[in-house]
Amino acid sequence: MRIFKIIAVALILVTLVCIPLVIEKESIINLFIMTFLYITLASSWNILGGYTGQTSLGHAAFFGLGSLATRQLWINGFPILPSIIAGGLLAVAFALLIGVPTFRLKGVYFAIGTLTLAQILNITVGNIFPTIGALPVEDLITYQLTPRYFLFLGVAVIVVGVSYLLFNSKLGLGMMAVREEEDAAESLGVSALKHKLLALGLSAFFTGLGGGAFAYYFVSYYYQYPFTPIWSLDMLTMVYIGGTGTVLGPIIGAVFFVVLKDFLIRNVGQYHLIIFGSLFILVVLFLPGGIISAWKKIQQARSRRSKPNMEALTTEGES
Amino acid sequence: MLKVDNISAYYGDLQALWGLSLQVNEGELVALVGPNGAGKTTTLKVITGLLKLASGSINFDGNDLGKQTAHKIVELGVSLVPEGGRVFSGMSVLENLELGSFIPNARKVKDDSLKSIYEIFPRLEERQKQQAGTLSGGERQMLAIARALMSKPKLLLLDEPSFGLAPILVQQMFEMIEQINKQGVTVLLVEQNVRAALELASRAYVIENGRIVGEGKGDVLLSFESIRSAYLA
Amino acid sequence: MAEAIAQNVIFGILVGALYGLAAVGIALVFGVTKILNVAHGELMMVGGYLSFWLFTLFDLDPFVALPISILCLCLIGAVLYKLLFARTVKLPEEEKIKNTMLIGFGLTLIIQNVALLLWTADDRGISTVYSGQAFTLLGLRFPYVRVAGLVISLVCMFALHFFLRRTYMGKAIRATVVDWEAASLVGIDVHKVYLLSFLIGTALAGVAGTLVLVSFSVEPAMGMHWTLKSLIVMVLGGVGNFIGTFFAGILLGVTESTAAFFIPGNYRQVVGLILFLLILIFRPQGLFGRKER
Repeated sequence: MRIFKIIAVALILVTLVCIPLVIEKESIINLFIMTFLYITLASSWNILGGYTGQTSLGHAAFFGLGSLATRQLWINGFPILPSIIAGGLLAVAFALLIGVPTFRLKGVYFAIGTLTLAQILNITVGNIFPTIGALPVEDLITYQLTPRYFLFLGVAVIVVGVSYLLFNSKLGLGMMAVREEEDAAESLGVSALKHKLLALGLSAFFTGLGGGAFAYYFVSYYYQYPFTPIWSLDMLTMVYIGGTGTVLGPIIGAVFFVVLKDFLIRNVGQYHLIIFGSLFILVVLFLPGGIISAWKKIQQARSRRSKPNMEALTTEGES
Repeated sequence: MLKVDNISAYYGDLQALWGLSLQVNEGELVALVGPNGAGKTTTLKVITGLLKLASGSINFDGNDLGKQTAHKIVELGVSLVPEGGRVFSGMSVLENLELGSFIPNARKVKDDSLKSIYEIFPRLEERQKQQAGTLSGGERQMLAIARALMSKPKLLLLDEPSFGLAPILVQQMFEMIEQINKQGVTVLLVEQNVRAALELASRAYVIENGRIVGEGKGDVLLSFESIRSAYLA
Repeated sequence: MAEAIAQNVIFGILVGALYGLAAVGIALVFGVTKILNVAHGELMMVGGYLSFWLFTLFDLDPFVALPISILCLCLIGAVLYKLLFARTVKLPEEEKIKNTMLIGFGLTLIIQNVALLLWTADDRGISTVYSGQAFTLLGLRFPYVRVAGLVISLVCMFALHFFLRRTYMGKAIRATVVDWEAASLVGIDVHKVYLLSFLIGTALAGVAGTLVLVSFSVEPAMGMHWTLKSLIVMVLGGVGNFIGTFFAGILLGVTESTAAFFIPGNYRQVVGLILFLLILIFRPQGLFGRKER
């Protein structure tokens, strides 16, 4: 089984790498780029919110910070890759600013803290920076879509890869223990604070990387846009629709999201935000495990039907 | 008056009660005794609607309790003094008692009820302005019972009222319960203090592992060798 | 110089009263039901717009129209509660808080965008006869509208206090907060208590929204801003003490106002964040709250 998975992943990667070499149409490349971006964001949020169970309502802050830092550095002559990394690190710094005081307390304080940070950055950036920034002429002339495609692909692959490794690692297990039963985990020697901070750091960093790539992508750059709460909601929606706490969940959620968003924008235009908000609420109320959990339930129902004898042998009562 | 018929109940996937049946007739003082974790509190929770009934039926005075919500059951005349009393700690003794009369039928006669409660529990009248959380253990238990009585119940359920009390207070507690019963309130008493409960009750049930394993008159059960060795050694 | 500072303090108190009122709304709901309605600011916004349209279309003075606003907001609150939040009520506390936060967050964006579509992003304000006017006392200026806001906020606080302390239903609410199972056992319908609390919170949001309309203006994006202020004040004041929460609101207002002297206007918002972080680091139970981890 394992070998099939590896082959499948390899095939997908090869296909994705070949896409820009084969397809010329920009709108399709852009669609892929957006998908990679959303996969990055969803998987990043998932490390903190899904694995470790710490709900952040203000991830737009990290997206925005990564974006802002990268943009400012890049326009002033810094090479792009270090700028993006710097963006990620700036996001981590602010993340820790909120995480360190709030992680000792109940989860709701962290959520409020992230919301606070995001909103304040949103307002402050909106006040300080101009609405739009344009690219310097040199960068404008040399603008090419293909390297950006690979940048987004690369970042997405890195984040998903880290997610996967984390899921199967001791660190990841510790994070999930903190999510499930924090006190019990502490008594087993798992430092809740350490795990939360690590998850926060990774999550903020990768979200920041996504923001950095985002800044590199746009010709006209709206300074406030990446700080707006819509990004936070999008991340929450994708992860919840796909399935929190899993590796595939955020990916499924992101793809679903991009496709649906594209479809909705074409057909209902301005109402798509309302529809997404409603969809999110429905998922939280009725399908909190997302598509992945729905899939698992279907599988369980199928296997139960084909093994009636096992039922009779168990002594557990029905709940 | 109260007919519990073949009930089962679960905590999540874990079955706690297995086809349990018991009966309390009007005016009786019935005890339900058994070891720790036998399901005594669970039984009371199911009767009062705090825990959902999985199967079986509970009938009180012609009403099917199985489908009712907890607060409705109080309105029907069943009042529980939960384990530890669970008084409202941030509120005064008087406020606790007033809340005891929350249901419409009790609220009408609140002032009269208060007067008679103070006659039975003079200590509570002394402390009526005091915060319930600052009372001693015995006083809190008294307040809990008084609060339950304020709802003018037909059936009073008590979950281990003597728990954690000093022996002399335990004695007083049981005398009080006997008084309450003599004044016309039917009582179902759940107790770990088997001797006291069996001496007090006219009839008793023994519960173990979520099932009724014995039933009879109090003094008869007391004489059973198995009971003596299991619980009174 | 001293006069300028004093004037700032006055303004700080007046706007702080609004912060306090808004915060008590969200704190009441959270304290009783553990529903963290982060769409609270959006409800305020709706209340504000309602008063705006009542004034613009029917010439109803916003203060006179307060009862109508309250009623309408209560209706909206009832619908939101029954449709959405009621389903979360049975969950264990941590999960309940998390889920209601998420639902509230989704609602935030829905309501904000509906407002945007219906009423455009323009700022809406109203002018009444008394709008710009003020009275002076000791050389300091007290705008009528804002003072009215303070008065109404205080009235609401007293009414709430009286309700919780003296009425049967109010005591039932307090009892439910302490121990909801024991409350059920004395015959209190916990679901009704939750619904009532939610409605009171919504009503307070409506009042606060109207006051924001007359004191400032309304626009669709204001919701998040006010939710944020409410949350900061709620944490500042500490859970469980509504009078304390109100004062914490005043404190935030005054701090922001006086900080305006030293920090350029664009960074004013940061004051709230700094205060929030400081409280969490040094006194997480808030200024007036009881210690609980």
